[in-house]
Amino acid sequence: MIRGGAHTAALVLLWIGTLFGGQALAHESQPGLLELKQITTDRYEVVWRAPIYYGQPHPARLVLPADWTAVSEPTVRQLPDSALHRQVVQVEGGTIDGSVIRFAGLEATITDVYVRTTRLDGSQFSQVVRPTQPFAELRGERPWHESSREYLVLGFNHILMGIDHLLFVLGLLIIVQGRRMLIKTITAFTVAHSITLAIATLGYATIPGPPLNAAIALSILFLGPEIVRVWRGRTSFTIRHPWVVAFGFGLLHGFGFASGLSTVGMPKAEIPLALLMFNIGVEIGQIVFVVLILLIQHALRVLQFRWPRWVDFAPGYAIGSLGAMWTIQRTWMMFL
Amino acid sequence: MSLRAVKIGLGAALVILPSLAQAHLVNSGLGPFYDGILHLLLSPADVLGLMAATLLAGLHGARASRLTVIVLPVTWFLAGLAGLALPAMLELPWLSVLSFALLGVLVALNPKLPAEAVALLAGLFGALHGLLNGSALAAIGAGWTSLLGIALAVWVVALLVSAWVVTLQADWARIAVRVAGSWVAAVGILMFGWMLQ
Repeated sequence: MIRGGAHTAALVLLWIGTLFGGQALAHESQPGLLELKQITTDRYEVVWRAPIYYGQPHPARLVLPADWTAVSEPTVRQLPDSALHRQVVQVEGGTIDGSVIRFAGLEATITDVYVRTTRLDGSQFSQVVRPTQPFAELRGERPWHESSREYLVLGFNHILMGIDHLLFVLGLLIIVQGRRMLIKTITAFTVAHSITLAIATLGYATIPGPPLNAAIALSILFLGPEIVRVWRGRTSFTIRHPWVVAFGFGLLHGFGFASGLSTVGMPKAEIPLALLMFNIGVEIGQIVFVVLILLIQHALRVLQFRWPRWVDFAPGYAIGSLGAMWTIQRTWMMFL
Repeated sequence: MSLRAVKIGLGAALVILPSLAQAHLVNSGLGPFYDGILHLLLSPADVLGLMAATLLAGLHGARASRLTVIVLPVTWFLAGLAGLALPAMLELPWLSVLSFALLGVLVALNPKLPAEAVALLAGLFGALHGLLNGSALAAIGAGWTSLLGIALAVWVVALLVSAWVVTLQADWARIAVRVAGSWVAAVGILMFGWMLQ
């Protein structure tokens, strides 16, 4: 479908992928979680789960409002994937509405933080803090459209950060022949990853991160030889029915997307909305990427770019090599 | 609001915005690569010059566009790397404005130029703004990953815009492109006026 534009796009993605190879290992970087639980009328338990950030302690530091007084010594517990900071604070007047909690250093990261507040009456409120605005203004229940926008942006950003997801979609675009098959294949990928995203988010099934990431890398490696086959004029089951492969591997990618939408700190009532809007964000990001690649392909054709024959094979080898590198890296990580 | 007030406001915004954009890297929340892309798109002097260079290439046909699409991001990136190595932040507002205003004038006049000359002009513009971007990134501690984002964004914009202009056949459409060039030149002249004041 996009043979012309695929060369440059694949090579650019290969370049970027190689540069960010280390980060790609952990691209499904976990969000942080701040939990504020009211335990008496004027006391709150503060639990800050700072995720491990590319193998290191997270650089963001929790800064509580100046008028909150610590009434217990802060404790830190090291977990395999995060550090758990816990303390109890006394809040003057008992209300936290209007208080601003800062995350110093979050702006230099790509981590989102969920903030969940639980009151004595059992009511829960949540919000998402992003690196672009590294603070939370606590203000109780928010209008639904505000939460919706947060989750939509979260989904959109998640796919833009997921170079392995984008590379898989690019691989599919190269294999697919014809507009109808393109729509069918992208739809199959979308349906599949929506199913597993929902299953994982609702807590019906989970796959541990390391094997999941290795399997996602394997899905990219799988496409490499298929692309070379396309260029050699050969055929295979994948080339004849790319939508089946898109659906199969799409199920895996959905579990990957779910890692970007941690529902650990989310009130149950908000999960359906979060799931819907996060998925819409992912789809918008995917459509933007597909349209951009198609436009690039069209532009390269208009400008009559020509390249030597060996360049024809570059996308296949680029995608296959990157897939292989990630598969080996991520498999190796499973045993460390 | 009078026309003069609008002009002054526009001029002030265009002078202030690039300096703001270069003073600190815009945080996209997605890391330095995307920060670089956003930085380019929010720097009016960069965007206006980029548009003018690629409109000019498009008006001169497929060959000029092909050369420009390759030369522009490459010079931008290489000069950016050089800028990263500079000891202090480079500020050349006059030259920056002159570069895109000149390209705007060329788009408006649409003189017959060889494809190599069009690419050379684009390359000079890319080198200048790459150098400025690089030194600005170095001053705030950002690195070449942001520069990579900028270069990729330059490549995509140059490719899409020049290919789009190449497909324009109708006289009125090509005139519209030249009018757009005159607007770029006009913004440059406004900014010169503002800087003189």
